[in-house]
Amino acid sequence: MLIVLAKHVFVLYSVLHFDWNLALKDGICSCVILSLSSWGIILLIRAYPTSAAITVYGLVVALVISGITVGAEFESLKWLIGIDNEAYKSWLKETLVVRFLFIWIFNSWVATISALRKNISTLDSRFQQQTDASILLKEAELFKLRQQLQPHFLYNSLNSINALINIAPEKAQEMIGKLSDFLRSSVKRESEETLPIAEELVYIQSYLAIESVRFGDRLQVHFEKEYTDDAVIPPFLLQPILENAIKFGLYGRTGAVVITMYIVLDGPLLTITVTNPYDPDTQPPRGTGFGLEGVKRRLYLLYARTDLLETSNDNENFTTTLKIPQHHVQGNTDR
Amino acid sequence: MYKVILIDDEPLARQLLRSLLEPYQQVEVVAECGDGFEGFKAIQELNPDLIFLDIQMPRLNGFEMLELLDNPPSVIFTTAFDEYALKAFESHAIDYLLKPIIKSRFDKAMQKWLQQAEAKEQPHVSALLENNVYEGYQHRIVVKDNSMIRIIPAQDIFYIEANDDYIKIFTKDGSYLKKSTLSHVEQTLDPQQFVRVHRSYLVPVTQLKSIEPYEKESHIALLHCGAKVTVSKSGMAKLKTLLGW
Repeated sequence: MLIVLAKHVFVLYSVLHFDWNLALKDGICSCVILSLSSWGIILLIRAYPTSAAITVYGLVVALVISGITVGAEFESLKWLIGIDNEAYKSWLKETLVVRFLFIWIFNSWVATISALRKNISTLDSRFQQQTDASILLKEAELFKLRQQLQPHFLYNSLNSINALINIAPEKAQEMIGKLSDFLRSSVKRESEETLPIAEELVYIQSYLAIESVRFGDRLQVHFEKEYTDDAVIPPFLLQPILENAIKFGLYGRTGAVVITMYIVLDGPLLTITVTNPYDPDTQPPRGTGFGLEGVKRRLYLLYARTDLLETSNDNENFTTTLKIPQHHVQGNTDR
Repeated sequence: MYKVILIDDEPLARQLLRSLLEPYQQVEVVAECGDGFEGFKAIQELNPDLIFLDIQMPRLNGFEMLELLDNPPSVIFTTAFDEYALKAFESHAIDYLLKPIIKSRFDKAMQKWLQQAEAKEQPHVSALLENNVYEGYQHRIVVKDNSMIRIIPAQDIFYIEANDDYIKIFTKDGSYLKKSTLSHVEQTLDPQQFVRVHRSYLVPVTQLKSIEPYEKESHIALLHCGAKVTVSKSGMAKLKTLLGW
């Protein structure tokens, strides 16, 4: 604004050969009014933002404000200087158009810049909000999917304990202990994004210990492991797969059932294969409870991939294959 | 003396029910069954007054088993957690017990049943089965074939025909009758795969070979199995939207 003032005064004084006093007065007056009008424009645009046609909006606002400004400038200069200076008054009238154009250009510039800035900050905050919302949504869905794991298993286990209390109290105690271990590690793992596979297997063992109380000696699970200690897995993915295998495997059979679990680190993927015996004629009820769909959905939310869970079956066995990308392992091979 | 059958795949759950029933002198547990097949057989042989029925069971689930019975006995459902089914029970005033089963709640259900049994006025489960009580669509239909129970995978079905109170299911191994309505079966099967092309026909889209105009406003569909079924005007419209013609 000071530069504008200096130029204004300089132009009046040295180019148009006005005297110092007059040039200074005219300059200060014009600049004060121009500042006021720019300030007005900024306030106006902040208060009434628009999303459509920023440039046009800026120009129109500037046009209106500039008209008012020029009027105000003319009146105040006339009153300040021109009362007893007819030559100045007529010169003022002649320069009105030039003054108006100058003010309009200046104001348009101010208006457009402030409208743009306003827009950018609105967009910024909206973008931020949307990112926040989608993160929250994803977290909520993951949380919900994790929660769905528990009820069936939990209520059925409590029912078993309920039965054991009368017929075998010490067995009931044992099962309460196992169930507590299981729940304790569930709660602890709730916040973890990934866990070492060995830790997840401890959890799975405590789960299987409970299931074997429920199904007696019929359930046997064999493990085959070929992985390094740094292999990781997101929590709560393996359990529903095993739950499914147990359901498929034990349903419709009376004898012992062997479920095998083969874990191998295959390049950047930790591959877990669960195989259970299966009778194609007696498929268990589908679509009841949580099952593999939830696992699939979680894998998609975590890795944005749909090819990480696959199932296949022949006449005797049902196989579920789970693949977990190992980011850190990938990093190692890149080096 | 009332006869009771316990149907649950977990031995411990059955044992719990047995011990909860001990104080009731007027009832006798006549059988324990580990799945719907056994349950079906036991019910037909022993004709019980009341059954305790788990829903999620091996081979044949609780609902499928009930569907096969011509005169189902009174049922108290026992389930761990099945929000969808619970709503269905409540709307038909059918009793259920949530696992873990607590004595006070169990006694309440028994009192209620005993009262109803004495007054001989019991809610009938068949009304419940008219609705789709399943969560999601079924991929099979269970039918009684003489004394056998046959499970027909959805992909083996050629087409289903309405036949008075029965439906007739055509497969490569022959046709089976089942006491049910076409609307009920239509509800339980995946609508992306099965289309009600006519008041009397439900057809899997994969079975369609060709469709020809027939009389005014109706068509005839030729199926891969060689059968011909009538397609009504509204059935044609459904096919058009589903197949995107």
